[in-house]
Amino acid sequence: MVSERQTSAGRGGWGLVWLGLTLAVLVMGFVKAMTAPTEATMGNLQRIFYYHLPHAILSFVFPYLNLAASLLYLWWRGRNRELALAADAFALASAEVTVLYASIGLTTGMLWARPAWGIWWTWDARLTTFLLLWLLYVSYLLLRQFSAAGQTAVISAVLAIFAAVDIPICYMSIRWWRTQHPAPVFGGGADSGIDPGMVPAVLWNVVGWAMWGTFVLGLRYAIERRRQRQSAEDALGYLGGDPSLPEAR
Amino acid sequence: MIPFHTLSERHLVYAYCAVWLLQFGYGAWLAVQWRKTRR
Repeated sequence: MVSERQTSAGRGGWGLVWLGLTLAVLVMGFVKAMTAPTEATMGNLQRIFYYHLPHAILSFVFPYLNLAASLLYLWWRGRNRELALAADAFALASAEVTVLYASIGLTTGMLWARPAWGIWWTWDARLTTFLLLWLLYVSYLLLRQFSAAGQTAVISAVLAIFAAVDIPICYMSIRWWRTQHPAPVFGGGADSGIDPGMVPAVLWNVVGWAMWGTFVLGLRYAIERRRQRQSAEDALGYLGGDPSLPEAR
Repeated sequence: MIPFHTLSERHLVYAYCAVWLLQFGYGAWLAVQWRKTRR
């Protein structure tokens, strides 16, 4: 028989292996970013791109995980309470990681824009819809933090569905409209693409930051599941009148 | 040597430092929460 504690320890071991691999890939990504050929017009400033691009791409991936988890929560909440709670925990974790990655996408973009354009910000379609994406998921987290208990999961799941509408609009904005933001680097037609010498730096960093995102997502999910179990045990303790439990907040 | 002479060089360093600070800061916060949350 395998106990829950042993299973948890096994997962923790795999988590550490994953973390080690992730850090190795990120170190490799940094080395590749620093040794990639220098871009002809922007010079070393272009190296921000190797961190900006992975975070921007992943800012479009994690919200879809949030959407999927929110839909699953709404589907399961009247059918299977345990699966619904797991989906809700995953939705929260993915929203938090979305805010993290979108914050970095915005920050690195602005740090690039100031020397490249001479301005920190402009209200073009890509930047505006990306800021909207960030605001929507910050709102989602604030809603979860401050709404009255009971309906929080349902209301936030519904908000997640509306928030997800912005993802394809933001992704397509540089294809649909003329923007100050550069045109698509990959898959943007005949003029798109980068020097082959820059590709390894892009790939190592995309993979590395995706692995890191998976790690923090998994850890945040596990923390939330622990907190849910703790709340359930506390609630059962109150019903049973266990005097060892803390007083109700 | 860290390049820090021009605006472009400074912003390149700021960008990389901002990424590490936010990402690994969040990772550290999660590690603390993991230890604080009762099993």
